Order: sequence, then structure tokens, then C-alpha cells
Amino acid sequence: MTPIHTVTDDELLANFMERIEAGEKIEADDWMPEEYRVTLIKLISMHGISEIMGALPEKEWVPRAPSLSRKLGIMSKVQDEMGHGQLLLRVTEDLLLPYGKNRGDLMQDLFKGDLKFHNVFHMETKTWADAGIIGWLVDGAAIITQTNMLKASYGPYARALQRICAEEVFHAQHGESIIMALAEGTDEQKAMIQEALNRWWESLLMFFGPASKETTGSSKQDLTIKYKIRTKTNEDFRQIFFDKYIPRILALGLTIPDPTIRFDEESRLWTYQQPDWEEFKKIIKNKGPRSQARLNLRKTSYEYNAWVRDALSATVT
Amino acid sequence: MAGEKTFYQEYEVFSKRTQNSAFQHQFSLLAPNEDMALIMAQENFMRREPVADIWIVNRRDVRKMDREEKKTLARLDNKEYRLTKGYGYLKKKWRHYEQQVLDEKEILSWGGDRK
Amino acid sequence: MNMTESTLDKDYKEAVISLLFQLADDDFLYAYRGSEWLGLAPHIEADVASSSISQDSMGHAAMYYKLLEELGAGKADDLAHIRPSSERKNSILTERANGEGFYMETPLYDWAYEVVRSYFYTQAKKVKIDSLCQSSYRPIAEAAVKVKMELYYHKLHWETWFKQLLNSTDVAKQKMTEAIARVMVDFGDVFSYGNQKQLIEKCALIDTEEELKSNWKMNLDPVFAVLHVEVPAIPEKAVRNGRNGEHTKDLDEALLTLSEVYNEDPVAIW
Repeated sequence: MTPIHTVTDDELLANFMERIEAGEKIEADDWMPEEYRVTLIKLISMHGISEIMGALPEKEWVPRAPSLSRKLGIMSKVQDEMGHGQLLLRVTEDLLLPYGKNRGDLMQDLFKGDLKFHNVFHMETKTWADAGIIGWLVDGAAIITQTNMLKASYGPYARALQRICAEEVFHAQHGESIIMALAEGTDEQKAMIQEALNRWWESLLMFFGPASKETTGSSKQDLTIKYKIRTKTNEDFRQIFFDKYIPRILALGLTIPDPTIRFDEESRLWTYQQPDWEEFKKIIKNKGPRSQARLNLRKTSYEYNAWVRDALSATVT
Repeated sequence: MAGEKTFYQEYEVFSKRTQNSAFQHQFSLLAPNEDMALIMAQENFMRREPVADIWIVNRRDVRKMDREEKKTLARLDNKEYRLTKGYGYLKKKWRHYEQQVLDEKEILSWGGDRK
Repeated sequence: MNMTESTLDKDYKEAVISLLFQLADDDFLYAYRGSEWLGLAPHIEADVASSSISQDSMGHAAMYYKLLEELGAGKADDLAHIRPSSERKNSILTERANGEGFYMETPLYDWAYEVVRSYFYTQAKKVKIDSLCQSSYRPIAEAAVKVKMELYYHKLHWETWFKQLLNSTDVAKQKMTEAIARVMVDFGDVFSYGNQKQLIEKCALIDTEEELKSNWKMNLDPVFAVLHVEVPAIPEKAVRNGRNGEHTKDLDEALLTLSEVYNEDPVAIW
């Protein structure tokens, strides 16, 4: 009898890294190093729950949207956000299987403050223009980070992102359409966008995360690059955002609320006023202006109708 | 360990765009039973495309391949005898007999009207 | 009788406009209440699915407002946003809040009420639409044929929820039974044409109130038989009749929210 060769973890890891280097896709049932699984869970659960929490600030404007077609457009957009949350939580749940955790646990992690959501969704919305800025610039920022991961080594995430990015194109245009109407509207409407831009600018810069972990003490960008989940750094993303959106913001007659911002021809980079990264740390610890209110909204509705989930458990065969 | 009782099951959703197209896997969703899965499927995954039919499959009923089994899928690229390209010389032969070769395009056109 | 706008006599036109306001306002308020649920449904997949029904319904309302605009009743967006509650013709059922609390703060929305209201409303809408497909006013008949296409899904969706929750735990049965009672209290004007009953029925725009009520019950009978429950009786007389512009404070609050931005400048383009 030939002795059976037991595959060691080192060999599995070497084989895994070879597959990733060769551009192969890793699937949910495949062997993967713990570090890869944990990195994915952190990234995708945060992405997913941010979609779910991100539905709330825009949802504030759903009933108030100022025409029948705007009401329809924003309803459909917020529905998509919930839909993106569904896709991403499904991907996360399959990764959580070895730990025996499920969607209910993710919700509890959110309520306990262990599962964070994006800084932008902790902020207050004040006028209809905020709904426009969110669609135009927050979704624009999200498109930049998400398209970079369309070729992610983890197949289920890449496939979810394919669906998400296709819809983001609609979202960006939905936002542009709101902004365009205001930009071409009355003086009050124009002022409304400028105020909203001023309100959201710092949050937009923060959206991409700190340039390095020295800024805030932690960053997962190194691991995600190592495992070919993404290829660009936080700062790369921010620079792309400036490239794409600064000319458009200026073209509409708006002012960037940062007098120092300029494009450096030599380095081909934008120099700009750093946002307050201490404030960023506070915000993502659920100490932002609307963090607790939105968590409370989510938690109340989740718990108040828990009986529905209990009832349907009785129908499981 | 699971902090909450899980009552949801994973359902795989398949759909076809038109009556003539083949079923395609879309995504998975959580539902307590297949009737619930069915009423949620289209609006979760096919909000912007035509749908002619939907299948819902409980994931536990899907027989999957493991990594070892996936090795059985590879094969050599030496099976010209299964393909028309293994018989490419026939075109020249028929030309010699002053006849056109009956290639795939020609044969598949026979289902239409007689010309 | 098959009439087009150019040949409408005064009474006929009045009947068409009255009926269209009832249909439009019903779907508009129903969709609005549905949209308040966005992000708050008890299950994410259900949240996504039910939002499509709110969108469809808002789309139906927009079609009716557009027909009114074509009849010279005013701009569709104005009709939806700036009419005061005394001019609204929706049924009380569609304006009722989803539960206690403002939608942005700590709303206590009841999914049982959502399911029962939606299911009963959808069944009522279905019998009306079936009848409207034969309406003497062709633009309404054409709109009804389109609306009917989307109602198959709405009905299947809410019927599934209704049956499953009534077939599950004691808690769910209790909540559903309470919700049925609350919905039925407001059901008195759902099939009412209000003060315009005679005119609307005479013009053959739609079946009579009595025919619709009986069709509604007939549609529900088989579902309730399986659940061993009696189809609840429709109140003989509405406490308030929304068709006559009699409404609750829930509608005033809804109008304040839904027209908040629009009213900042009703002539601006948004």
C-alpha cells in the first residue's frame, strides 16, 4: 500500500496563493486561509451593512421627493440599496458558515457596535439637495471603489459587484438628474446644492479611508491588495474621485469648499485639505451626528417585527 | 455559535429571460419556504430585465462538486474526432466531385422553408 | 356607450373626473404608506420585493393623474402634491398610518397591518380593475388593462403573506386577527363612490358598489375557507367617507410630508 500523503496547511496555502496569482476565482466551498476568510468577512459584511444603513438617510427623502417621477426614482434607488445589502449579506453569510453564524448574528453585531458602517451614512440630511449629492457624489465615490473590485479573487463577491455596479450607473444618473434640475433652477435651488456640497465634502473625502494606517491606527487596505481583492489604495481612489468629479462640480458653477485644493502638474496629483481624521474615527465608532438615531431606527423595526420571523420559522419544513 | 435561531433556508434562484432561452443561475436568497422564496425572487434579482420563468431550488438539494471532484472535469485537447474540424478535409473532397460540403450552417438551415 | 374627450357631455365628464380622483388618490396614498416601510420590513428580501409593489402602485396613480391632466383637471404633479385633504378622494384605509411614530424617528410599524391592508386593498383593486377593463370611458379601460398586468404579482405576493402568517404561530394569528379587525373598521368607503354614486354608475364607467362588494367577497371566499375563517363583513356605512373628502388627521400629516419639498416652490422644476 502506498502511504497516503496528507496535504499540509503550507501546501494548501501555497496552492491557494498560486490559484490567486493565476487569476483563478476562489469559491465559497474552497479551502482558504483563515486570514483571507476573515479579511473577506470584515470587508463584505461592512459593505453589506453599509448598504442597509445607507438606505436610511436617502429613505428620509422618499416620501418627500418633490414630484411623482422623483418619488418613483428615489424609491427604486433606495430599493436597490436594500437589494445590494441582500446580495452582500448573502455572500458574507456563506463565508460565516464555518463559524455557525448567520444574518441574525450580523444584525446583533451591528446593534452592539461590532459591525461598522460607512462614515457617510452617519451624517444628517437637511434638504432635498442632500438626496441629490448622495446619489451623485456618494454613489460616484462608491462606484470608484466597487469597480476596482470587479475582478476580486473571491468569485461570489465579484459576481455580486457585477450586479451592483450595473445598478450604480443608474444611481449616478439619478443623482445627476436631481442635481442638474437644481443647478438649472431658481437661486434658492442653486444655493441648496452648494450648501449640501459644503456639508458633504469632508465626508466624501473620508469615504475612501485614510491614506495609510499611520493616520488612524488601522487599515485593511494592505491585506485586500495582497489577496487580490482590490488593486488600488485608498489614496488612489480619492485621486480618481477628484479627477472625475472636480471638473463636473466646477462646470455646474459650484465651489469646492476647500480653498487649498489644486492639481499639481508635476506629481499629477491633487493636493487638498485633509479631513479631520480624529472626527472620522469617532464617526465610525457610531458617534456621528445620526449614528445612534439610525441604529435605533433599524433596531426598533427589527425587534418590533421579530414575531414575523418567529412565525415563519414555524413554516420551515 | 449562532446567537439566534435560524429559520431561513438558502434558495438558489434560476430564471430565463425569454421562452426560448435556457435557465440561468441568478443568485441566492434567504426564505422560510419555497413559496416565500418564489414571491421574492423576481424583485430581488431581476428588477430590470424580462423574465419568462423562475425556478427555486433549496440549496440542500444541489449536489455540488468538491475540489477533488472538480479534477475530473479536465481533459486533453485531442478530440478533433468529436468536432467538425476533424473532418475539414471533406470540403476539398466534395469540391472534386463538384458538390458543396454540407456544413453546419447548411444543415441547420434545413428546418426552414424549402428553397 | 363609447366616448372620447371631444364628445364628453358635462355630467359624463364630471363622473369620469370623480372616479379618476378616487382611483388616483387611492393608489397614491397606498403607495406612499408602502414607501414608508422601505428599509424597515422584517426581512431584507421582503423589503426589496414589497417596494416594487409600492412603486407599481405609485406608477398607477401617476397614470390616473395623467388622465386627469388630459381632461384639464390640472397638472398631474399639482394634483398629487398640493390638493388639501378636504379635496382628496382616497378611502380612509389607504391614508391610515402604518403605526405609531414618525417614519424618521422611532416608528412602530405593524407588519400584520401592512399585510392585511395590502391584501384586502389589492383584492378590492383587482375587482375594480377587472370591471374598469370594460369601462365606457376608453382611456380608463386602456389604463385598467395595463394595471391588471401588474396586479397578478401584487395579489400573489400579499396572499402568500396573508395565508402563511395566519397559518403559523399563535402570536401571529392573534396579530393578524387584530389587524383584520382594524382594516375592516375602515373598509366602509373602499367600494363607495360617495356622493357621485348615481352619476358614476349611470355612466357605466364601472360596476355598481354592490357588484364590486360581492365580487370582492367571492374572490376571498376560497382563501378564507382553507384558513377556516369567515370573510369579514364590509361595514354598511362608512364612519367617514373619504370619497366625499372626509378624512383623518393621518392624511393631514401625510400631505405635510409628501408635499414638503414641492411646496417650497410649486412652480420650480425639481
